[in-house]
Amino acid sequence: MFDVLVKNGLVVDGSGSPGYPGGVAIKDGKIVGVGQVSGEARTVVDAGGRVIAPGFIDPHTHFDVQLLWDGAAKPALEHGITCVVPGNCSLSLAPLKIADRPRLIGMFQQIEEMPPEAFTEAFEWTWEDFAGYCDALEKDLSINVAPLVGHSVIRLWVMGPAAQERAATEAEIAAMQDLLRECLDAGAVGLSTSFVDVDENGRPVPSRFAQAEELDALCAVLGEFGRMLQVVPEFYATDITIARIDQLADLSIKHDIPTTFSPLFDTLAVPDNADRAIARVEEQFARGARVWPQMQTRPIDISFSLLRPSLFFARLPRWVRILRQPLAERLAALRDPTTVEKMVSDAGPDGGEMMFGRLVARGGDACPADLVGKTLSQIAKDRGQSPARALIDLSLENDLDVAFLNASAGHQSTDRIGPMLANPLVHIGASDGGAHLASFSTYGDTGYLFSEFVRKAGAMTMEQAVAKITGETADIWGLKERGRLKEGLAADIVVFDPDTIARGEEEPAFDMPGDGMRYVRGARGIDTVLVNGEVAYTAGAYTASRSGVVCV
Amino acid sequence: MAEPGDEAVIVGAEIVAGHDGSAELLVRLRHANGVEAPVQLDEETGLKLMAACGALHVDELKGQSWRRIVEGL
Repeated sequence: MFDVLVKNGLVVDGSGSPGYPGGVAIKDGKIVGVGQVSGEARTVVDAGGRVIAPGFIDPHTHFDVQLLWDGAAKPALEHGITCVVPGNCSLSLAPLKIADRPRLIGMFQQIEEMPPEAFTEAFEWTWEDFAGYCDALEKDLSINVAPLVGHSVIRLWVMGPAAQERAATEAEIAAMQDLLRECLDAGAVGLSTSFVDVDENGRPVPSRFAQAEELDALCAVLGEFGRMLQVVPEFYATDITIARIDQLADLSIKHDIPTTFSPLFDTLAVPDNADRAIARVEEQFARGARVWPQMQTRPIDISFSLLRPSLFFARLPRWVRILRQPLAERLAALRDPTTVEKMVSDAGPDGGEMMFGRLVARGGDACPADLVGKTLSQIAKDRGQSPARALIDLSLENDLDVAFLNASAGHQSTDRIGPMLANPLVHIGASDGGAHLASFSTYGDTGYLFSEFVRKAGAMTMEQAVAKITGETADIWGLKERGRLKEGLAADIVVFDPDTIARGEEEPAFDMPGDGMRYVRGARGIDTVLVNGEVAYTAGAYTASRSGVVCV
Repeated sequence: MAEPGDEAVIVGAEIVAGHDGSAELLVRLRHANGVEAPVQLDEETGLKLMAACGALHVDELKGQSWRRIVEGL
């Protein structure tokens, strides 16, 4: 008897091959049959003709902290994701000495925008070493976790405060190698480093003080295990990104390791940015290197409020001058009818309809709940005002604490990005799940892949899209037991409707420790998610299953 | 204002979407050898650059020395 039988579906096995009618049989958490399988089972999941696919893998997240009180990394799992990779960008929660916790918390808060209570009240911090962190994670996981170890914390452990001041000595580099080896033995899927990130005081994170010799020595250890190097390059400058691609390629070839860098954006302002980077990646793969660029599917949204200056207004001199003033003077100016009259006039003869009309009131702040999600054009119409005046008045009425969203302001050209995502050398990822909590939602990129790039643009087939975020991702990261529907592999499975799978609307949620707020997106079209053979999510609800593991 | 040919100067600037969800400043620099290259500044640095240049409009950054960017970092 099977433990679970997922039947009556379209089997899309993660290889990119066309789907076919059938099901999947599961025993002891493993797949024991794929295709025309039949027999009795303790649990039967009727796919009802929907797609049965391997669970999706998210290779760039910052769920390191959240996983300690939310083992499903909500809402990632309900989007069909069954495995997340935390520990990116040089930061992980281990190895870390007790004395260094405050320093690391500051760095994490800078990236994740998580309230301090998340680190002090939501879990018991019992470990210092990487094995201890993995043990703490596994106590309550319902999603699988393939954790990276961060270069910055390895430096902190070995060098203390000097990690953020200077290059390492030969002895210190040797100690870092030993520590990395210990972390890889304990289950780290690789090492992450950053050439970009800063801490809460704007100081470069420790990994940025490393010289090339140090990174080379650490990659030698990765080579002993064949594990991944993840890098944040200077993605805001094409030429430097290309130089980093070359550096990663040399490390990949020398130590026979896979490498990946993230993010890689397309931008209409520098239209050859992504093309040049991908071309260089292709050249380096031809040399035998493995340098995987990670590209996100979702467009970038810009948000701002009148609480602080924003470059969003940088083409409106009067607005710039007023919003640059200290708060008291700014408020006085915004309350002055003559000044506001001129500001509205500056916004154009249409009262700012073209400039501001499509902005959306976000919520999660002092914005009245009934206005959340509405455009300024709608709000202005309801108030009988111009959009520019509505923007100012709505802000004033709420102590300026109203955020507005300019959706799809960057990385937004589906026609350009679709072929890039379909490129076999481009790794779909860089979601940043669990980070930037108070700025934007980092969930739903997988749904957006299907709704925008499969159904709307036809940039790839549904089967190719599944393969990009399952089988190919598992291959890139060396996750040998995951990513495909194949006998003997872990039974990580998602059942979804290919006609409706998508991301939901962005909305504020107040579910962080300390009443912290974050932006989230629900999933559409996801029916059931199984993790290691247990149903973890079905019919819109999470189950009590805790079948997730730390995996390599 | 920088003298032409002396050093890199800003020849254009525009507002773009930043990785962290804020508006950022994409500055185009023309180097002394004639090569032009873009540099994207985060919102804080971009605002500092505009303030340092006394600019109220991104177009007013044209002709400014690249050194103004460094001063804003």
